[in-house]
Amino acid sequence: MTVAPRPDGPDKIAGRTIFGTDLEVPGMLWGALVLSPVAHGRIRSLDLTSARAHPGVVAIASDDVPGLVEHRMGDPERPPFPREEVTYRHQPIAAVAAPSRALAREAARAVRVEVDPLPIAGDLDELFPEWPSSRIEDPSRVAAHVHARKGEVERAFHEAETVVAETYRTAGIHQVALEPHACVAEVRDGVWRVQSSTQSPFGAREDTASILGIPETSIVVDGTWVGGGFGGKGAALLEPYALLLARASGRPVRLALSYAEEFRLGRSTLPSVIRMETAVTAGEIVARRVRLLLDVGTSLPGRDFATGYAIGFLLGPYRTPSFEVEGYAVRTNKPPLGPHRAPFAPQATFAVESHLESVAREVGVDPVEFKARHLWRQGDRTPFGQRVTPFGLPAALERARATATRWRQAAPARHGVGVAVGFWSTSTGAGGEARLCLSPTELTIIEGEREIGSGSVLIGLSQVASRRTGLPIERVRVEYRDSSRAPYDAGVFGSRTVGALGRAVDEAAVALLRTLGERLSAPGPATLEVRDGEIVAVHGTTRRPVSEIWTEEEARVGGIAAEGKHYGKSGEIDEHLVRDGTFYAFTDFTGAAHVAEVAVDPETGSVRVVRYAAFHDAGVVIDLPSARAQVEGGVAMGLGTALTEESIWSDDARLLNAGLLDYRIPTLGEVPPIEIEFVEGFPGAGPFGAKGLGEPPIIPVPATIASAVRDACGAHVTELPLSPERVARGLKLV
Amino acid sequence: MTEPSVHLTINGRSMAIAGVPPEERLLDTLRWRLGLKGTKEGCRTGGCGACTVLRDDRPALSCLTLTHDAEGTSITTIEGLEGDPVGEKVRAAFDAAGALQCGYCTPGFVMALTGLLREGGSSIPLGELLEDLGGNLCRCTGYAAIVRAVRSAREALA
Repeated sequence: MTVAPRPDGPDKIAGRTIFGTDLEVPGMLWGALVLSPVAHGRIRSLDLTSARAHPGVVAIASDDVPGLVEHRMGDPERPPFPREEVTYRHQPIAAVAAPSRALAREAARAVRVEVDPLPIAGDLDELFPEWPSSRIEDPSRVAAHVHARKGEVERAFHEAETVVAETYRTAGIHQVALEPHACVAEVRDGVWRVQSSTQSPFGAREDTASILGIPETSIVVDGTWVGGGFGGKGAALLEPYALLLARASGRPVRLALSYAEEFRLGRSTLPSVIRMETAVTAGEIVARRVRLLLDVGTSLPGRDFATGYAIGFLLGPYRTPSFEVEGYAVRTNKPPLGPHRAPFAPQATFAVESHLESVAREVGVDPVEFKARHLWRQGDRTPFGQRVTPFGLPAALERARATATRWRQAAPARHGVGVAVGFWSTSTGAGGEARLCLSPTELTIIEGEREIGSGSVLIGLSQVASRRTGLPIERVRVEYRDSSRAPYDAGVFGSRTVGALGRAVDEAAVALLRTLGERLSAPGPATLEVRDGEIVAVHGTTRRPVSEIWTEEEARVGGIAAEGKHYGKSGEIDEHLVRDGTFYAFTDFTGAAHVAEVAVDPETGSVRVVRYAAFHDAGVVIDLPSARAQVEGGVAMGLGTALTEESIWSDDARLLNAGLLDYRIPTLGEVPPIEIEFVEGFPGAGPFGAKGLGEPPIIPVPATIASAVRDACGAHVTELPLSPERVARGLKLV
Repeated sequence: MTEPSVHLTINGRSMAIAGVPPEERLLDTLRWRLGLKGTKEGCRTGGCGACTVLRDDRPALSCLTLTHDAEGTSITTIEGLEGDPVGEKVRAAFDAAGALQCGYCTPGFVMALTGLLREGGSSIPLGELLEDLGGNLCRCTGYAAIVRAVRSAREALA
């Protein structure tokens, strides 16, 4: 396969690309955060005097924040600094800025903080040792509760031939973008300006406005190149602190996290406990009961989203006549929960896929056959009553089944082959706008999203414009602008860039072609082509170069403009099923079936992945190399979730492995060859039938590995990750 | 007490750098004193390889190298690969294979591979090259495209 060189490739390869951590402006100070020494406590005293005694040092804490609030009070749930109580270890309590990195660190150390410790809520199992057999009585720990049911669940369980009940546990994991969070802020003439390595300049602007209590119109967020996001750079994190320091010092301030801080106070995934119960009669699922305890750390707005969305994946993509789901978002003294590539879906999928494999084994049916029989098909209703749009998962599972059969026949002893599926809905509901500008030599897409690496902005959006207009992709360029000059967009998350912002680009392209058609006095929209180096508008036999049909004003500003918007809608769920909390409808249906062959060491329980295959429904694939790259990267990341990645917390909610030597992500030699295939014929809601693909590849991976391990050695591991110790326990070695 | 100047050859240019404190890391000297930002700061604990440079032609982690300890050595950064015969081939291989996404780990990979190939050329077995690159982490690509780039860079030198 030929791979088209990436437009951002040469600069990145030559080290010329400036990321957030590379920013440097004249007169810049270095910022540092003062972090809470305990996970929970009352602040008795906070003394900034010795920090301020250093020459050139500015130090601020909660008392320095009021007074700037002229517009309205900031979000009371998340002030930049706590005034009385700290609720997680390493929570920022104060911040300093100094002329050098070393001095900033010294000044931060000089800040004296006295905190009276309060009881720490750390571990889900310690908080609720009897769960799920007893209910949760302590509402103070519950940040959100969701509950829904359909049909006569108790009777179905009572009358069923077979009931299988299991409990699964999943670890907290970290995004591990190689670039730590970093930004440079400056406040001048009433404009709060921050350059930041963010997945969402507009989202960071909204968050910052809310945290600082200043109007969004006073804030400009300028996204830099991003050294990996994976969900961790979606919301504002450092921007408010950097801006406050810049305002206090009157100088530009750089603030960046060390990698240890990245682990300790970045927004990562936290542990969960999942209870799964399934009732089966005559080989058919008649009822399911699913309960979830999700650690959400120190609660933040959005926590209900986490639970309400997570729980949608716990029933899996399977026909379920009656069900009950209940989820608790549990507040603990850990940092606030954050999103991680396909938030909670790999964990939920691990539980539901492993559980249904147990159910199938219990009733004596081949697990893949059992799943294939129950999978949603286009036109079916989900358990929540939503109509399933074109859905390639059943076709993908058939392809996976054939591969697994072949691999199993050839597998040596102690090898096992596993199969699992996962589904996803891409966030095409989140809005976006695009502006196009056509000059005689190129078509420019003007937008406010930074390319974060997947290629969805630079390649995906260009492909959409190229396909719609007929221009070769080399003639399409993406121009990023900061939040004060770009059309609005929600950000790079939720596998939404091509599906949602791509729709806005497509709409703008259609508008442009219509305008050009009118200029040609043609009866319909024009298309574009290149003749003798110049872009020409074409309709039938009519063709005219852009330079002949643009107005004087357009020639002056550099091109013919067109705009497009896309604010999508989600589907609808049966609201009468909802007893408490908020559940979310899917916007579209995408999915994948994966196959893994593993070798298990019978003495140590360590797992080696020998080969891997991924069958994906990505709707109409608009750029094959980028699509394949997303699957390669997502599967590798999922192997970490499956096998090695785990945030380890002490009893007093201290993160014990805050570094890349102790928190192990997959290395070059640990990722096996991956066969990739896209099943076709299941168009999505994106332009030309595209579906999002950033998140789906990670989703089935832990479940697939668990299935392969079970096949290899019989160890049924119910906790992520499948560390050698857990596999060895499954083998009854320890 | 004033620290003596550090004498380094950076990308072929010899220089004396004054005022470097004893605890300063080569990574910070390169990035913040000399403005060579192509060397990336990742974990600063030797766990990711993003800061890899060549020290006397061999891959070295600039985050774990004290600048004073590098006294008298020759340091090549990603900016110094311009026109370097092996470095150019490695860069071309990464470009052709699309062996990057966010690009943050890319300079480190390019430097590490350049160092390994300079030393052993195409005679190094592919498996050995890949093993030696195990200290460079990439979170985006799943390494597949990087392995393709390594293979083609090695072949290009044959």
